[in-house]
Amino acid sequence: MPANWGYVFAAYGIAAVALLTYWRRLARRARALAARRAAKPRAA
Amino acid sequence: MTRALGWLTVLGLVAGLVAGFGYAPREAVQGNVQRIMYLHVPAVLTAYLAFGLVLAGSIGYLATRRPGWDRLAGAAGEIGVLFTGLTIVSGSIWGKPTWGTWWTWDARLTSTAVLFCVYVGYLLLRSLIEDPDARARYAAVVGILGAVNIPIVHFSVKWWRALHQPSTILGPERSPIDPAIGLALFVNWVAFTLLFAYFLARRMEIARLEEQT
Repeated sequence: MPANWGYVFAAYGIAAVALLTYWRRLARRARALAARRAAKPRAA
Repeated sequence: MTRALGWLTVLGLVAGLVAGFGYAPREAVQGNVQRIMYLHVPAVLTAYLAFGLVLAGSIGYLATRRPGWDRLAGAAGEIGVLFTGLTIVSGSIWGKPTWGTWWTWDARLTSTAVLFCVYVGYLLLRSLIEDPDARARYAAVVGILGAVNIPIVHFSVKWWRALHQPSTILGPERSPIDPAIGLALFVNWVAFTLLFAYFLARRMEIARLEEQT
């Protein structure tokens, strides 16, 4: 059986990119919501 | 709390990589390509967990009408789709050198693809309905019906003649896995469960903030 490291790295690489992209998306959304709440005028 | 969980997850993922690439031996028949298992199997187990929580959140919402249950279901559904996607992609990459094909309409692969489509539909439905109560109600019904597919995916390799191998860790028989490979798989499963818990906590917090703004 050949080493097939290319397949292994492709699988782990795609997973890393997908998970990091999702994590960044969550972080960006949380920051945007926090900024929107901070900008909202408080009721007197 | 979420931050601490995040760091614990990073630690778990690093331990998982060390276990999968450093500790676990090279598999005798498949060689190194078998190391994709430490990604593929924890990903599908995490997807089962996520869709199980969609089911629990859906039932909880219909029983109590409390929005927290709907937040749980919506967040778990989104993360479940992510992990099912990873399962399909990693399985396809593993399939090429071992089966000689990226994809085949085998019972396990087909039922997993159906599972993925059902929950993508669940997310689409959630995004299309504006009224929060109607969205939660309709989504809960789909969340309950969609869960029917989980046992079909899991037992597909038993119920139909499949190219995919039968269950080796959640099967009724004692697992034939080498202890070192089993331990590496366990460490990666724990790491993925931690990652899921971290994503779920963050996604539910975002959903709560979205409802308030």
